[in-house]
Amino acid sequence: MAVSKVQKKKKAFSILGSVYAVIIYAILYIPVAVMMLFSFNDQRYNYYWNGFTTKWYGKLFENSALIGSLWYSLIIAVLATLISVFIGTIGALGLKRFEFKGRKFINNMLYIPIIVPEIVLAVALLIIFLNIGTALGMGTILIGHCTFCIPYAIVTIKGRISGDDNSLEEASMDLGANRIQTFIRVTLPSIMPGVMSAAFLSFTLSIDDVVMSNMLAGAKQSTLPVLILSMNKAGVTPDVNALTTIMILVIVAAMILNNVIKAALKKRQNKEVAI
Amino acid sequence: MSKKLDDNSDLKQIGKKRDVKRKTLPALAMAGPVSLWMILFVTIPMLFIIYISFMSRGVFGDVVYKFSGESYRTLMDATYFKVILKSLRVAVFTTVLCLLVGYPFAYYIARKPKETAAKLIMLIMIPFWTNSLMRLNSWLLVFQTNGPVNSFLQWTGMTDGPITFVYTDGLVVLGMITNMLPFAVLPMYSSIEKLNKSFLEASADLGANGATTFRKITLPLTFPGIFSSIILVFIPTLGIYTVSDMLGGGKVLYIGNIIKNQFGAIRNWPLGAALSVLLIVITMLLIFLYTRFASIEDMEVV
Amino acid sequence: MKKILALLLTMGLTLSLTACGGGTKDSGNDAKEPAAGGEEAGGEEAGGEETGGEEAGGEEAGGEETGGEEAGGEETGGGEASSELNIYMWQQYISDELIANFEKENNCKVNLSYMSDNADAITKLTAGGGDEYDLIMTCDAYMESLVAGGYVEKINFDNIPNASNINESYWTAKEYCVPYLMNYIYVVYDKEKCPIEITSYNDLIKPELKGQISTIDGARNLFPIALIALGYDPNSTEESEIAEAYEWLVKFNENVVAYGNAEQNLTNGTASVALTFDGNASWAMAEMGEDNTLAVADFKDDAVQLGFDLYVIPVGAKHTDLAEKFLNYICDPQVMASNLEEYPYSCPNEAAVEAASDTYKNDPARNFSYKENVFFQEDVGEALTIYNDYYQKLKVGE
Repeated sequence: MAVSKVQKKKKAFSILGSVYAVIIYAILYIPVAVMMLFSFNDQRYNYYWNGFTTKWYGKLFENSALIGSLWYSLIIAVLATLISVFIGTIGALGLKRFEFKGRKFINNMLYIPIIVPEIVLAVALLIIFLNIGTALGMGTILIGHCTFCIPYAIVTIKGRISGDDNSLEEASMDLGANRIQTFIRVTLPSIMPGVMSAAFLSFTLSIDDVVMSNMLAGAKQSTLPVLILSMNKAGVTPDVNALTTIMILVIVAAMILNNVIKAALKKRQNKEVAI
Repeated sequence: MSKKLDDNSDLKQIGKKRDVKRKTLPALAMAGPVSLWMILFVTIPMLFIIYISFMSRGVFGDVVYKFSGESYRTLMDATYFKVILKSLRVAVFTTVLCLLVGYPFAYYIARKPKETAAKLIMLIMIPFWTNSLMRLNSWLLVFQTNGPVNSFLQWTGMTDGPITFVYTDGLVVLGMITNMLPFAVLPMYSSIEKLNKSFLEASADLGANGATTFRKITLPLTFPGIFSSIILVFIPTLGIYTVSDMLGGGKVLYIGNIIKNQFGAIRNWPLGAALSVLLIVITMLLIFLYTRFASIEDMEVV
Repeated sequence: MKKILALLLTMGLTLSLTACGGGTKDSGNDAKEPAAGGEEAGGEEAGGEETGGEEAGGEEAGGEETGGEEAGGEETGGGEASSELNIYMWQQYISDELIANFEKENNCKVNLSYMSDNADAITKLTAGGGDEYDLIMTCDAYMESLVAGGYVEKINFDNIPNASNINESYWTAKEYCVPYLMNYIYVVYDKEKCPIEITSYNDLIKPELKGQISTIDGARNLFPIALIALGYDPNSTEESEIAEAYEWLVKFNENVVAYGNAEQNLTNGTASVALTFDGNASWAMAEMGEDNTLAVADFKDDAVQLGFDLYVIPVGAKHTDLAEKFLNYICDPQVMASNLEEYPYSCPNEAAVEAASDTYKNDPARNFSYKENVFFQEDVGEALTIYNDYYQKLKVGE
C-alpha cells in the first residue's frame, strides 16, 4: 500500500516534470518557430504575416555574402570553442588544485570580461591591436571571443569540480598512471558534463556575438550576427530567416542521423554478442 | 640516533622540495595558459581603460592624454546613481526568475539517463545558435497589435480591441528570461547531475520527506552550481541593453546603453571608461559581499 | 604530445555532436593548432590561430575572387591599378548590381562591410583603424570633427568629374567628402488612426497622442526638434535652451510608444505617428500599397532636419585610386538613377533624380512642400556632453 502510494507520488511528479519541461521548451522554441515561419513571408521586411512565398530561399542562394558570413561565424565559433574549452578545462583544474602566487588575481581577472560591457573590452582590444599593428580579421575576432568565452568556460567547469576530492586521482597515480593518463582517464570523465556545458556555452556565446565581432572585424569579412545587426535598422530581410531555417533543419537532421546510426551500431553489436 | 634524525629531516626537506618541483610544472602547464591569456587580453586592456578614465575628452571626441578627474566628477551626478540602481533591479529580478524557472528544469534534466540528458541540454542550446536580435523580433511579431496573439484573443471574444503587449515591461521580462535561461540551467545541471543519488535515498530512508531532503541535502550540495548560475546570469544582465531596446521600445537607458553611447555617438571615452571602472568596482563589491554573506569559504568559488 | 592531441580530439567530439556539416571538418583540422601552441605560451597560441584563421578566410575570399576575375576577364584592367576596394557603409543601401558592374568595369573586387550605427565608423576611425578601409560612409554631422581631427583625406576632385552633378548648396566640407544619399527627418502619420491633424512639432506633445509615436532616437536627433518647437537655434550650445528643450522632450516622451522600428510600428498599427526618415516612410507607404493611409505631415513653419550620408577617404587608405573611381562611378547620373530604383531615398545628385523613373519622382514620401525649409546637424563641440547629460536624464526618468 505504502509503496504504491510513494510510486503514485513519484509518477505524478514525473508527469508534472515533463509538462513543465515541455512548457519551457515551448517558450524557448516559439521565437525560433516564428522565425522559420517568417522565412515564407511575402514581404520585403518582416513587419507582419503577408502571405506565403518560397522566393526568399531562391534569394538566399544568390546572396553569397550571407552564406559566406555564416561560414565565417561557424569557423570562428568552432575555433573559439576549442581554444576556450581547452584552456578553460586545464585552467579550471589548475586554478582549483594548485596554490600559486597571483592565483587570486587571475581568479578576479576572470570576472572582468563577464562584468564589463563587451564594448569596453572590445574598444580596448581594438586600440591595442591597432597600436601593435595587428591586421584586423579572423585572428582578432577569435582572440576577442576567447577572451569572454574562457571565463564562462571556467565558471561552468569549476562548478563541477568544487567539492570533488582528489582521492580517485591519487589512487590512479599510486597505481602508476602518470599525470596525463590520470587526467584523461579519471579527471576528464568526472568533469565531462561540466566540460560539455562549457563547450555549449562557448559555442553559443561566440556564434551569437555582435559587439566584439563588430569592433574587431577587418574590412573583408564580417560575421553573420554583425551582418544582421547592420540590417536591423532598416529591417531584416526574410532571406536571413531562410538561412536560419536551413541551419536549424541541418542541425536537427544531424541529430536524428546521429541517433539512427548509434541505434544501428548498437543493434549490430547486440547481434554479434548474440551470435 | 641523532644522525638518523637529521637524515630524516633532510629527507623531508628533499621530499618537500621535490613536491614543490613536482607541482610547479603541472601548475604552470595547467594554470599558465589561462593566466597568460587573462593578463594579455584582460589585464592590459583594462589597465588601459583605467588609464583613459583619468584622461580628458578632446573637443573632437578624441582622447587627450592629459590627467583629469573630470570623468569621475561627472559620475557624482544623481543620474548615474539612478541608472545603476535601475540596472541592478533588472539584473536581480532576471536572476531570481531565471533561477526559479531554471532550477526545476535543470533538476528534471539531470535526473534523466545521461544520454537523454545530453540531448535535452542540446535542445536548450539550439535556439541560441540563431540570432538573438531575430529571436527578440519574433516576440514582437507574435505579440504585436495585429499579431497572432491579439487576433486569437479577439477571435475568441475575450477582448474587443487589440491589447498592447509590445513595448511593455512584461515582454522585456519574457525576453530577458528567454535570453538568459541557458546560462542559469547549464551550471545548475552539471552540479545537480553529480549529486550522489545514494545521498537522497539515504535521506529518504532515514524518514526525511521530499521537502526536507531538498532543503537539507539537494540544495546545499548543488550550491556551487547555483552560485555559478547567479554569476553567469546576474553580471551579464547588468550590462545588457538589447532586450530593453528592442522589446521595451528603447524608452529606458541602462548602464550598458550609457557606456555604449560614450564609446559611440557621444565620443566621450574617458567617461565611458570611468563608468566601466565604476561598474567593475560595484560588481566586485557585490560578489565580495555575496561570498561573505553566503559564507562561502573561498572567495574563489569562481 | 600525442596525448594532448588525443585529449583535444575528445573535446572535439563533443563539438562534432553539435557542429553540423563544415563545422565538424574544421574541428578536425584545427585541433592540431592549439596543441602545437600548447607547449608555448598562450599568447603564441593566439598567433598560431591567427595564421590559421587567415588561411581559412583567404580560401573563401579566393573562391569569390576567381569568380570575379572570370566575370571581368574580357575587360583590360588598368596596369598598376588597385584590384581591391574596401568600403565600410550601411547595409541595404547600395545596389548589388551597381557593385557588380563596377567590379566588372574595373576588374577589381569590392569588399563591403557594414556598420550598424554611424558611431561604429567613428569609433573605428577614432581608434585609428581607418586605414583598414578605402571608403567610409559617415554623415554630415560628423564631418567637422573628422576633418579637424585629421581622420580623413582630401579628395582629388580632378578624378571625379561626375561630382559636378551634385547640388552644391547642401554640400558641406566639400574638399573631404562626396555626398551619396540624403534623409529628411520629418513626421508622417496615419490619416485615419491619428486623432489629430499634425502641422508642427508642438502637435507632437499634445496629450491626445499618448503612446502613439514611434520616433528616431539619439540626443542629436531629438533635441533639435524640441529646440525648433521652442523657437531656438536647432544647434544651440546654450545650456538654458537645452534645458528647456529637455522639458519639452519629457512631454514628448510621454507620447512615445517606441524609439526606432518606425516602419514596422506604422504598418502593423502599433503607432499612428512617426518621426522618421523619409526613406523609412517611403518603405512603409509602399508596404501598405493600395490601402495607404499614411501621409507626410503638412508643416507650416517648422524646419525639418536634412542629413547626408556621404563617403570619405580615411587617412591611410591603401587604394585611393580605386576609391576615386568608385566615387566618380556612383555620381554618374544613369548609375545613380538605377540605384535609386532599388533604394528610393532622397538624392543630392540632381542629374540622377532627373534621370530616375516616374515611380521614384512621384513617391508620396518625398512629396511635401517644405523641402527647402531645412536645417542641418552641426558640430556642437563641448556642448555635446550637455546634450548627452540631458538625454540621459530624459531616458532615466525617475
